[in-house]
Amino acid sequence: MRYILRRPDLLALALTALLACPPVVWSQAASSRRLSRNSPGGSSVSRAADGVVIPGPLRSFLRMAGISQKVPAEEVMPLLARNVFMQGYSQQKPTEFLLLLSRYVQQARELRILAGSSGTINVRGCGDAGTLLQILGYRVVGNCQDKGLTLATSNPDLAFLTIDSGFPLMTLEESLQKGVEFNYSFPSTRVPVLMRESDWLALDRKRSADNLVDLMVREPGIARLYWAMSRNDDETNLALARAPGLARLLPYAPVLDFYGSEISIRSGRVLVPGGAKAEPVWRELAGAGPDNPGEFVSHLVSKDNGWLAAYYDVLSRINVSQQQHLTEPARMKRLYEAFRFPQIDPPATASVFRKAPGLLLLFTRVEWDPDGQPHVPGGIDLWKEALGQKSDYKLVHTWAKRARGWNNSEQLLEAMASLSRLDTDTGPLQAYLTLSEIDAGRPGNGKLSADACRLLTKNFQRFGTWYLVFSEFPELNDESITRFMNVAESIEGISNVTLRGNVVGAMQANVGIWQILARQGEIPAAELNDSWMKAMGPFAKITSSSQLFDAARSSVSEVMKSAGATNISQEALVDLMAGPPQQTAEGQRIRQEIGTRIRNVFEDQRLVSLDTLFGLSDGLAAMAQGAPAQQNMLALAGELREFEMPRPIFTNSEKISWAPGVYSTHHAELQVKTDLTKVIKGPGTKSQLESARGQLSPFLRDALVGLNYAYYEPPGAQVLHNNSLFVRSHDFSGLTVVSTERSWMPPELMGVGTPAGGGAYLMGSLSDLPYALASTEQDFIAPENIQALIWKELVPDLLVSATVPRWWSISPHELHAVTLYQRSGEELLLMAEHDAALRGQVSSILANRMAPQRLETLDKSLANNEDAIAILAQTIPADTFYLAAEYRRRYPARVASIGPQNQQLDTLCSQYPSDTTTQRLSHDFGVPHPVLARSYAPGLLYVKPFPSFGGASSRLFGESWESNNLYWARLADEKGYEPAALNRLVPELTRRMTAKIFATDLEDWPALERAMQEAGQEFMQGKVTGFPSATTTTLLQAPDGQPQIPASGGSR
Amino acid sequence: MKKSLLSILVLSSLLVLGGERRTAAQDDSRILVNVVLVQLNVAVTDRKGNYISGLKPEDFAIAEDKIPQKIATFEEGNEPTHRLVLSGPDGKMVEQTIKQTTQGTATADSPASIGPSITSSNVFILFDTSNYMYRGFVFAQDAIADFVRSLDGISRVALYSYSRDLSRAVPLTSERSTVLRGVRSTVAGDDAALYNSLLMTVKDAAQFTGRKAIVVFSNGPDNASLVPPEDVAELAQSTGTIIYMISTRDAQAEPISSAVFERMSKATGGKAYFAKSWKDEKDAFASIREDLAHLYSLSYYPQPNPNRGWRTITVKLVGENAQKYRIRTRDGYRVLKPAQIASAAGSPASSDPVAK
Repeated sequence: MRYILRRPDLLALALTALLACPPVVWSQAASSRRLSRNSPGGSSVSRAADGVVIPGPLRSFLRMAGISQKVPAEEVMPLLARNVFMQGYSQQKPTEFLLLLSRYVQQARELRILAGSSGTINVRGCGDAGTLLQILGYRVVGNCQDKGLTLATSNPDLAFLTIDSGFPLMTLEESLQKGVEFNYSFPSTRVPVLMRESDWLALDRKRSADNLVDLMVREPGIARLYWAMSRNDDETNLALARAPGLARLLPYAPVLDFYGSEISIRSGRVLVPGGAKAEPVWRELAGAGPDNPGEFVSHLVSKDNGWLAAYYDVLSRINVSQQQHLTEPARMKRLYEAFRFPQIDPPATASVFRKAPGLLLLFTRVEWDPDGQPHVPGGIDLWKEALGQKSDYKLVHTWAKRARGWNNSEQLLEAMASLSRLDTDTGPLQAYLTLSEIDAGRPGNGKLSADACRLLTKNFQRFGTWYLVFSEFPELNDESITRFMNVAESIEGISNVTLRGNVVGAMQANVGIWQILARQGEIPAAELNDSWMKAMGPFAKITSSSQLFDAARSSVSEVMKSAGATNISQEALVDLMAGPPQQTAEGQRIRQEIGTRIRNVFEDQRLVSLDTLFGLSDGLAAMAQGAPAQQNMLALAGELREFEMPRPIFTNSEKISWAPGVYSTHHAELQVKTDLTKVIKGPGTKSQLESARGQLSPFLRDALVGLNYAYYEPPGAQVLHNNSLFVRSHDFSGLTVVSTERSWMPPELMGVGTPAGGGAYLMGSLSDLPYALASTEQDFIAPENIQALIWKELVPDLLVSATVPRWWSISPHELHAVTLYQRSGEELLLMAEHDAALRGQVSSILANRMAPQRLETLDKSLANNEDAIAILAQTIPADTFYLAAEYRRRYPARVASIGPQNQQLDTLCSQYPSDTTTQRLSHDFGVPHPVLARSYAPGLLYVKPFPSFGGASSRLFGESWESNNLYWARLADEKGYEPAALNRLVPELTRRMTAKIFATDLEDWPALERAMQEAGQEFMQGKVTGFPSATTTTLLQAPDGQPQIPASGGSR
Repeated sequence: MKKSLLSILVLSSLLVLGGERRTAAQDDSRILVNVVLVQLNVAVTDRKGNYISGLKPEDFAIAEDKIPQKIATFEEGNEPTHRLVLSGPDGKMVEQTIKQTTQGTATADSPASIGPSITSSNVFILFDTSNYMYRGFVFAQDAIADFVRSLDGISRVALYSYSRDLSRAVPLTSERSTVLRGVRSTVAGDDAALYNSLLMTVKDAAQFTGRKAIVVFSNGPDNASLVPPEDVAELAQSTGTIIYMISTRDAQAEPISSAVFERMSKATGGKAYFAKSWKDEKDAFASIREDLAHLYSLSYYPQPNPNRGWRTITVKLVGENAQKYRIRTRDGYRVLKPAQIASAAGSPASSDPVAK
């Protein structure tokens, strides 16, 4: 697993006991107000009934414990617990991380004693510094009160702790140099404990621990239970502590950790997914009723190796509408039986990540027919065939046999639930999900035909990642799908590997350009199919390189024409890709900037322009017809030779020896050798001239691929500008590295950390290019916080949400509507404080987006009439947007009476209905969900934050974070920017936000929110320079009419 | 106005391709590359490695792609006052004195002087804080701290650290105590992306005027970079940035890193050191300090040159010195465009992280 925070990763010894040294101060962040605003899980202060003392400044302890220094005090113990069981042991032995923490605690204890009752370490001079320096592991070099005095390491182990914990060594050194007093406040800090410390100490049968920190570090099992329960709400925890009790839960800590956070007990009853109608089934499945929480939970977590708990967790996470379908008693029971089929081994907790992410995907996205049955694209018989296809999984074969007798869609859904336990991205479940998404976007009379579905399922393992384009553009009909399949099939049949790679690259690049222009609305909806067919058609039968050149040229020309271009040139294409023409001066300027960015990448990759290639091809073709060489031909040919390989540092033999298995730069080297001057000077035969034209096809491939790369340039990109081989090294087939062809698979980043390999490159297709580029460039964003690292599992999704959507067709009214939706949601929250009925409505709506713990905290804040900032701190922009939208849908008649923000929104919606629909706002301010919704189409899915999974499903967490673009849009509106400015603002603000993320664990969404808010505040305060000036500034009005801090919603 | 002009010109020691690139398809005539200024840092030593001082501009002969060049500016070491020989378009030689400001820009006594300033020296220290360095981490800090204290003649120092990601711990500053605090604030951990981080450091350095040097203090291995050392070396050469590399390992222990360290530093006019012990590290830093103090800085406006690719630079001593002494400097450059040398700190909208 990758870390989010830096910490040494070496083996070590055990931790010694902590000593609680008085005096003790409560962490500053432990006030009720601060806690409620800073709680990552939304935990309330009520849980801080007890406290544990951390010796030394909290900041130092957090550094050593690998915890973000921005977490609230009440999160210290849960995150310590989490880090201990996640990182503290390897093969049942303590790791270096734990050893360092142990040593630090010892050092802090000694320093606390030195600090004495005043809590301040005081050194009056060199003669007084001996003890302190001994504890710190340093010695004095030079004379006292001399500016040449320095502190040097005497004990490296202690010195490391001194440095790593952030002790102000330089201040001490300077004090000794100047002969002035050194004073350093070194208080111990009391941090809250979940329930009572004694509850946890009682779990320690050895009775060897004096306090909770000591206990946790020694007992990772207890630490895991603590972490798991810290994700639950208070009422549930209190009920669980009573029955079945912590001791009975302890063996099931892993189950509770992975699948327990959605368990909610209220008034002595477990609130099971599906509600009262589902209770009998839950009673049957678990062997105990929800009316007996202790027994129910005990049975739930212990049943079937954790699989029942996993099933419960998934059903709890989906929205109410899906729950209603899936918890139909008979269906729910059958689905679970299928899910646990055929065996319950390995356990649901058998790895470091949760199992079966596919079940959550399936239950989140399954579509329902009007008769309440699960939708089956293509009909049930098709899926019987699909399951019968070749598979490496025994479970698929088992279901294929079972499927022979199927006669309804429920049976298919059960099979899919069962197959969700397979660890694959190309199985029948993924095919079903993908086809369901394609069908969901199509109108009722335009659903996928059985034949189209058959074609799609048959080829899913090979071409499935390309189906995302059919989800994104449901206008593409079955004929377009068939054309794609036929062309892809035809390309697969090209036996010459080099030619095949070039055809694949050029064809996929043109599809990419089509996708860009279609997404930007430059290809009219009515033209999508026609343009698609014309883009595909030329690639249908390629047998030579010169044919490829003509095909790629014809294809891209057709795409450009469909977008209205009359002049087929590189500039015209860049102009189209930069965005549709803008009416305002600002819009024109920003569009020009984006065009320049595309050109910059193209030039930095030292690619040859389309104009040069087309000019050369035309000239050679004319020569083949007997015409003399045109005057500029030699100059054009000279441009081909301008590309040079980077100056070598390694010899070829060193590369072979030191970078084995890394793809060579064969494609680029061939280009370096390409010299058309001889054939141009002639005389050349027709065959030679045709061959020369063929030599242009690799250059054309790279130019088209490079334009795709350039368009999706992530903010802060460096590889695109500094590794001139990056585009040329794109290895479509992958056959030099892997045994199976990768030409249609998602691109993978190769060659990382191989200095002699010539740099990283992408291997595979262009299907998931925006994400692949974001993964490539993310580590060039420098974190601002000491100890922070780039969050690899999340940041690419953030960057994709900033590079794929564009904002060229947004009206000012639409932009303002985004703001008003968020403000209206905030207003609803604030009004709910004084209105119990409204509070219930608000809570009911937000239950679709919030886990029980967050919802409980918000409910308490509302019931306690906490101040506006505290209330709003419980939510994020996607919450308030959803709240307002859903409230308007459910209670349209009451909207106008809520308050001025809702009134303004209502008025705006009445005046500009088409600009303000939630569908439109979702499309324009949502984010792509290529894994969650199998499409790069931006949208808002309004799901709860997904938990972290392994593999490709690790992207689900990032894709479920939908707040960024809503928030950036609101800021832009409140600062008076034109909507087109978002094309520049969003990437830059996202980059800045990324640099500010200071997270501890893989589900640390509060860290995301903090970073987003910090970036937003900098922007609002004018600290982000270089943006175009805004025209006006709108002021937020609080419900009472008082000015409000702009965009305060969700601030922590 | 004078100051801004100076900045513009000196910045162009980065070698910027002027104007928009046009293709031959648009215009059959060859494009003239508009390179404004090339700056060279040259170490001259005798056969025993002793630095040779007191040389004059006329002792040097510079050629670019074998085209002889006229020296435009000349200075020696870190002396605060330098002799400047202007060789403008008219070829007239004028002597002027350039005074260095605390901001790293330069002013001339004579209003006529709009030549580039190369009188300030900026040193970026890039400290490996990856897991590879863990065991010697605190000793490394001590060595770096000593080095920072000893940089008397250097205008400004920055401290960056890296593991998987770069941390700009202390932007370029003339406040040594700030840098020292930065040294003591670094934390250990995670993978090593040396070449990624070095690339970004070169880009940050490229934003500044004057002599630029990067001192890499590393355990050597790189397991996380995406850019190859070749690209970093080229960028450093093209921006006139000297790279010194201190490895805390024996050269034989890790042949890949050793090869890169030696070849990259040599290509940029710097040196590589393999320090097996604490003393070796101190010696290496002392050597770098000496080297920086004895460099000649020369610059020239390139004569017309149609080459848009790699341009080879040769610097020779003329006369009797030619046989006696050895020269170390970068051996060429590639013409860059503004986007390639834009700071990695952010988009053009960025205002941080390093003060100009």
